[in-house]
Amino acid sequence: MAFCFIHASDLHIGRKFANIPQPADGNIRGRLMEARHGTIGKLAKAAHQNSAEHILLAGDTFDTATPSPVVIRQALSAMGETPDITWWLLPGNHDNLRDAEPLWETIQRDAPTNVIALTDAKPHDLGERATLLPCPVAYRSSASDPTELLVTMASDEGKLRIGLAHGGVTDFTDSGEAIAPDRDRTARLDYLALGDWHGRMAVSDRVQYSGSPEQDRFKHSRRGVCLCVTFDGPGATPKVEEIETGKFLWTEVELQLHPHQDAAAALNAILPVNGRRDLLLRVAAMGWASLPDQVELKSTAEQSAPEFAHFELRTDGLGTQYEAADLDEIDRGGALRLAADRLMGEAETETLSQEQREVAGDALARLYAYVREDAT
Amino acid sequence: MKIRSITLKNVRRFTSATRVDDIGDGLNVLSEPNEFGKSTLFDAIQALFFKPHGSRDKDISSLRPHAGGAPEVTIEIETDEGRYSVFKRWLQKPAAMIHRNGTLIAQADEAEAWISDVLGGDGGGPSGLIWVRQGMTDLTGGSKKEQDAALEARRDLMTSVGEEVEAMTGGRRMDAALARCREELAVYVTSTGRPKTSGPWKEAQERVEMLTEQHETLGSTARDLHEALAERKRARRDLHEMESPEAAEQRRAKLELARKAHSVAERHAEKVDAEARRVEMARLTVDRARTQLDSFRVTLAEQQDAAEKVEVAANEAKSASEALEAQQAIRDAAETTFQTSQSKLKEAEASMALAQRTKAAKEGVERRREMEERIKNAEKMRSAMETAAVAARAGPSAKTLSRLEALSTAHNTALAARDATATKVIARYAEGRDGAIRAGDKALTDGRAHALPRAVRLTIEGVGTLEVRPGEGDQDIDTVDVAAQKLKEALKEAGFDDLEAARAAAAACAEAEQNYREAKAVLASVAPDGIDKLREVLNQIPVLDLDTEALDPDAAETLLENAQDAHEHARLARDTASEKLADDRTEATRAETNLTSFRDRLKRAKDALEKFGEISETDLVEATVAAEKVFKDAQAEYARILRDAPDLTTTKAALSRAESIEAQAKEKIAHLKPLLARLEERIGRSSGDAIEERLTETAEKLETAKETLARIEHEVAVLTRLEEALGTARNEARERYFAPIAKELKPLLHLLWPEAELTWGEESLLPDALVRDGREESIDVLSGGTQEQVALLVRLAFARMLASSGRVAPVILDDALIFTDDDRIERMFDALHRQAGDLQIIVLSCRQRAFGDLGGRALHLLPVTTETAAF
Repeated sequence: MAFCFIHASDLHIGRKFANIPQPADGNIRGRLMEARHGTIGKLAKAAHQNSAEHILLAGDTFDTATPSPVVIRQALSAMGETPDITWWLLPGNHDNLRDAEPLWETIQRDAPTNVIALTDAKPHDLGERATLLPCPVAYRSSASDPTELLVTMASDEGKLRIGLAHGGVTDFTDSGEAIAPDRDRTARLDYLALGDWHGRMAVSDRVQYSGSPEQDRFKHSRRGVCLCVTFDGPGATPKVEEIETGKFLWTEVELQLHPHQDAAAALNAILPVNGRRDLLLRVAAMGWASLPDQVELKSTAEQSAPEFAHFELRTDGLGTQYEAADLDEIDRGGALRLAADRLMGEAETETLSQEQREVAGDALARLYAYVREDAT
Repeated sequence: MKIRSITLKNVRRFTSATRVDDIGDGLNVLSEPNEFGKSTLFDAIQALFFKPHGSRDKDISSLRPHAGGAPEVTIEIETDEGRYSVFKRWLQKPAAMIHRNGTLIAQADEAEAWISDVLGGDGGGPSGLIWVRQGMTDLTGGSKKEQDAALEARRDLMTSVGEEVEAMTGGRRMDAALARCREELAVYVTSTGRPKTSGPWKEAQERVEMLTEQHETLGSTARDLHEALAERKRARRDLHEMESPEAAEQRRAKLELARKAHSVAERHAEKVDAEARRVEMARLTVDRARTQLDSFRVTLAEQQDAAEKVEVAANEAKSASEALEAQQAIRDAAETTFQTSQSKLKEAEASMALAQRTKAAKEGVERRREMEERIKNAEKMRSAMETAAVAARAGPSAKTLSRLEALSTAHNTALAARDATATKVIARYAEGRDGAIRAGDKALTDGRAHALPRAVRLTIEGVGTLEVRPGEGDQDIDTVDVAAQKLKEALKEAGFDDLEAARAAAAACAEAEQNYREAKAVLASVAPDGIDKLREVLNQIPVLDLDTEALDPDAAETLLENAQDAHEHARLARDTASEKLADDRTEATRAETNLTSFRDRLKRAKDALEKFGEISETDLVEATVAAEKVFKDAQAEYARILRDAPDLTTTKAALSRAESIEAQAKEKIAHLKPLLARLEERIGRSSGDAIEERLTETAEKLETAKETLARIEHEVAVLTRLEEALGTARNEARERYFAPIAKELKPLLHLLWPEAELTWGEESLLPDALVRDGREESIDVLSGGTQEQVALLVRLAFARMLASSGRVAPVILDDALIFTDDDRIERMFDALHRQAGDLQIIVLSCRQRAFGDLGGRALHLLPVTTETAAF
């Protein structure tokens, strides 16, 4: 009979997203926070659906070393609602052993019996067929490989050796922490469940990052998943299945513009039609656009923004293409045109600082907007 | 448009038709007393052009006579297209009609539109701009509505005078943009550009400050929590180690062992002390015996030594006394010799002084003689200088001699020239006939050419005479004569017979000058400071008497040197003898003192030996040997006990350490328990407060707040820059904007104030200050008279601009100059006349006398007769 468990990490329960702008009549922060808590139920559901009895959380279950009692209690309570599943909680860098000592004491003291805090680097039986070999993170930052001790960590003969660790592997991150990507071979592991990387990544067949089950940044452009890992028998290559658990999609798209292009139409073309309420979208406008196109672009963005969970139009990389006709629209001559010409000149003067040029360019764009609004 | 006549009916006091007729081009003046109806006339004109015939507002109602009736106004105007009659009636059967040559061409609304068109459209027209109601003598008076209308008119006028003026200043769009910009900026900043209280910028700044402070506080609390966790970990580990049973038993066993070892060491130490005391006693006995034996031996030796030294000292004292007496005699003899040499030295010194005085007297006589000789020589030289000076002055000057030489050269040159061209005769004598041919008394030399400048008769001895007459013209005889004459006259003038005499005199003069210089050099050498100085020196040389008995100075000096040598020799001898005498005396005293001292020692040694009584040296030696044996035995015993003794200090230190470890353990346990309790409480409180969670949240909020602040600061920078750019551009355009009106106004202003200028308000388009003599005065602070003068001139300028834009309208002034004095009013009249050249100006005034000098066409308000009613 196959052996199956759920691998997840970086739940970051309790994260408040205070850096996400929230309109006065909005509640995006609350929704994002609640979604993170909601991953507990989604992971339990995935376990049930796959007849998995164990959920391995590879660190950073909590966002900070000292979450509020409400956050801890509600998380533990939610885990306790599935007594048939054992939750294995590994301290990560955010909830490392040193800084989060009270947290782990609380869990050890108050958690339901199906929730186990892995505060020691010693083997645990996962039933009769597998041994869990945890590598708890002692400090927030450490330049050493936390999985090194797995090489000598003993396990019962004939059982699957499942490693659980938190940190980066040497070949794709400069975090300073260095988990050897071939640790499965050097430590005779059947599987190494890793956390810390919020995006999904398979380092090898047996070394896997599940990523966060609920995304919290624009980097990965896909919804969060957990992994259902199945072994048909000792020594067999694990079957790793991704199960989507994320509610929100965080994504950043590039909008490449060029002069004489309908910028508003181009923006509309890349905006998804459905699911906007659960979409955090960042549009990075690039290239060049004229003054009226920029006005239209911003206007369109402002119009669409409230439909999204979060909408952000970045124009840092968008240059302004000044055209005579646009300036004529401000005025063909006289004081208004004089002011516009001067601002355009400043915006294009390379001897001025970048800030001065931006101020001048934005002032010109504002003047253009005033005149246009006044005309309508 | 020009007004030709105005007819009122049922307008206030004019119930029957009344007309002002014959209104001409240029200046027209209706000068009538108060209450004559001038303002009524003005209001009627306003109503006709600006009040629709259907209007019933208060302006129209005010036109109605007390007796009632429908106000009617008819104004005859003339435009480029022709002459029209504009008629309006209000309140009852309101009507508006336009007639041309008696033909109705428009009525009702069409007539209103026609009127508006004549006035130039909807831009506000001339009302308020160049039509001045009584009492509105400044530029900003009237109701709000009137002021707005006037502003609109000015804008319209400004716009009309140049195609690009509106565009140049940005016009309403500029106003709107600038207002919008300022409005948005005002949300953030105060008028001085600082963050506005309760504004978004200020709030963002305060939020960043508040969050920064909060973040620091939370960070501090978080660090405190981390420290507490680390401390708790250490405390738990320490307490666990202290309280473990194994550790407690180990500490107790160590303490017991240390106590036992120390007790044994203490008992042994007491034995060592007792043996040490016995050794010390024996050592003291030995010392005492040795001391007594040594003392006996030393005293005996002292007695023998003192006796020997007494004998030697007695002999020395005797010898010293004898030597002293002998030296005293020698010293007395040396003293006598010294006294004698001193007397002889004084005598030699007196002889020397006399010899020196005599020598000085002789030298004085010699010096006087020499000085007298120098004076004599100097006087001789001075005399020679005077003689030479006279002689030098007798000769010709160098210039005179040079002139004479030049004249002589000229004469000789003339002679040579003459002779070169003169006829020449050469005599060739036959042998023995030398000198036979003569010119006068002088015989011709053989073979020599003799020039004959003029006719000469030659005598040929024995033959007769031969007269030679040379030709004229080739010989310059006159030049030679003139030159000869000039030389002669010059010589005579200089006082010489010929040139040689002059040359001799010049040579004598040069010699005299040489003599003068030589005598002067000798005098300077003999008497460099003058002869009087020499005489002064002579008088200062003393005249001394000569002593014939005095010794020769050299002999006196020899005598003195001998006496000095003898005296020095005697003095040295005496001093040497005195020193030796003092030494001998000291030696005698020392010998006597020694003798006394040794006698005392001898007595003391004898007294000491008597104290030992009958004890012998042998007795003392035996006692010492016995004591030394006892001491040696005691030392051996002490060394044996000491060798076996444990180290008390070490056992004591070990015990102290064991006790300290135990005490520390208890103390540490007592300290750790409450510490742990406190740490638990601290950690529980901080972790319960979710300090890290709050810290992370605050950090994110702070980051967002900083981004917001940066965004606002950028927004403020953008708006500030935009406002500045717009303001600057508009200010620059303003100068061009006001150029036309300034141009029109300039000559008018200069009629009153040479070089005066006006500055203009951007918003009001009116002058806001008058600049005179470089001084700017706000219009508001000017006198009433000046204000109304400026206002009138500005309106006249506006009228000209209106005309130049194709909208010719009459200027109508109803008592526009109230405060102006007589002097200024004349110049204002000039201004009116100046503008009246191509404008129609209608002046209504109650100042009949003052306006009597205005000139122009006089208007009259007269009842309409049957004849005048029709047109």
